[in-house]
Amino acid sequence: MNAIETKGLTKRFGQKTAVDHIDLTVGEGELFALLGVNGAGKTTTIRMLSGLSAPTEGQCSVCGKDCVAEKAQVKGMIGLSPQDTAVAENLTVLENLHFMAQVHGLKGDSKQQRVQEMIRQFRMEEVLSSRAKTLSGGWKRKLSIAMALISQPRVLFLDEPTLGLDVLARRELWRVIESLKGKVTVLLTTHYMEEAEQLADRIAVMIGGRIAAMGTLTELEQLTGKTGLEECFVTIAEGGMENA
Amino acid sequence: MHKIRAFALRNWKEILRDPLSYIFCLGFPMVMLVIMTLVDRSIPAQVGMTIFHIENLSGGIMVFGLTFVMLFTAITVAKDRSGAFLLRMYASPMTAMDFVLGYLLPMLCIALLQALLIGICSMVVSLLVGNALSISGVLLAVVTAIPSAVFFIGLGLLFGTLCNDKAAPGLCSIVISLGSFLGSIWFDAEATGGVLLKISRCLPFHYCTKSLRAAVQLNLTGEAYWAALGITAACALVMTLLAAAVFRGKMRAEMA
Repeated sequence: MNAIETKGLTKRFGQKTAVDHIDLTVGEGELFALLGVNGAGKTTTIRMLSGLSAPTEGQCSVCGKDCVAEKAQVKGMIGLSPQDTAVAENLTVLENLHFMAQVHGLKGDSKQQRVQEMIRQFRMEEVLSSRAKTLSGGWKRKLSIAMALISQPRVLFLDEPTLGLDVLARRELWRVIESLKGKVTVLLTTHYMEEAEQLADRIAVMIGGRIAAMGTLTELEQLTGKTGLEECFVTIAEGGMENA
Repeated sequence: MHKIRAFALRNWKEILRDPLSYIFCLGFPMVMLVIMTLVDRSIPAQVGMTIFHIENLSGGIMVFGLTFVMLFTAITVAKDRSGAFLLRMYASPMTAMDFVLGYLLPMLCIALLQALLIGICSMVVSLLVGNALSISGVLLAVVTAIPSAVFFIGLGLLFGTLCNDKAAPGLCSIVISLGSFLGSIWFDAEATGGVLLKISRCLPFHYCTKSLRAAVQLNLTGEAYWAALGITAACALVMTLLAAAVFRGKMRAEMA
């Protein structure tokens, strides 16, 4: 079974079509990147897949569950780290983790165990008692992802996870995201070419709400006749594939 | 229930860790209690103005304090909505009712704690001015404050849902000013009469103050206490249901 599947998925806001008939499948354990410039429809796609927005047309499912008709089940299987760091600012790192664990119904030993796992995995020992509002951007992103993972979701949505981070914080976060490969299905959106190139098993290039090309980096290079994702992206964005 | 408790605890901590909440929810009402007592002491007895006597002032200051609970409810909800925090929570298994109760319950605890502390402060002041309030009256006032607190929290939830984090405090400031004026906290609408009394009687603030004043004075007559309490409770119920419906509607609209 595919972890994520969409068929003709479309979202319109009045006259504007944000997502235009996209078809994609993401396998279990795969790290899939939606690459595109601002306004390409990446966040809207994530919102529909995580049950936060209803499609205007088409279907989408997560682990076989329809994102509209079976929204409650979908919510129980996913983790979401939004574009802005969505943490409780006046709570400490430890309290934020406990809070999310409780919201997802974890109790007692299982809650403690899961919180400790997240602390270890994200190496958060040194900031445990710091309030979220005092954390650096990089730590906030790590906390945000840890909060999304605490319920052991089958699918994790990361919306622009390294947006605005400095190069060191970004590399550290890449290490964290790479460590998730194979353990959980990850769909991440980004407009950083090197991020998609470094992390993703497969990449979908979104232009104006449509998926203009999709495949592994090698496949995209073959498709465009260019080397490197940036060159591929520019060729795809400029509609130069036919000439390749 | 687990989810509501977790969210309520988070909101409780968020408010208690904000120094401004102590200044506005506790400090300011208590300063007003002391100032108005000093004003009362300066007014000659022959004038016959009793609104600032501690047995009248105490209940009024409790309502004044609740208006700031409304303000902090609105700010908390509006801030959560303006950031991505609620977006993350919307993607969790929490329902609209979980959110509403998660905001309401900690605010209610804070409101009752506030009423108790104002009551204790009032008792100290009453001892100093030689007009001792009864402990049972103050305790009854704290219990009587429940529907008033729910009303103001509901109002805060409504403003926080409808306004952004910049507009909500402004709107609440208007309600604080109007509510404390037309709620007969700073003047005796019953004694003034006329159009002002008619307007006051059309608004719930008047009944909040009236029921709390009657409770402090242990004046449990039907008109002074029970009727005012009944009207306040009805307003609290309507306001809470309205706020919950609007929150749910807004949540659905944002997820459309």
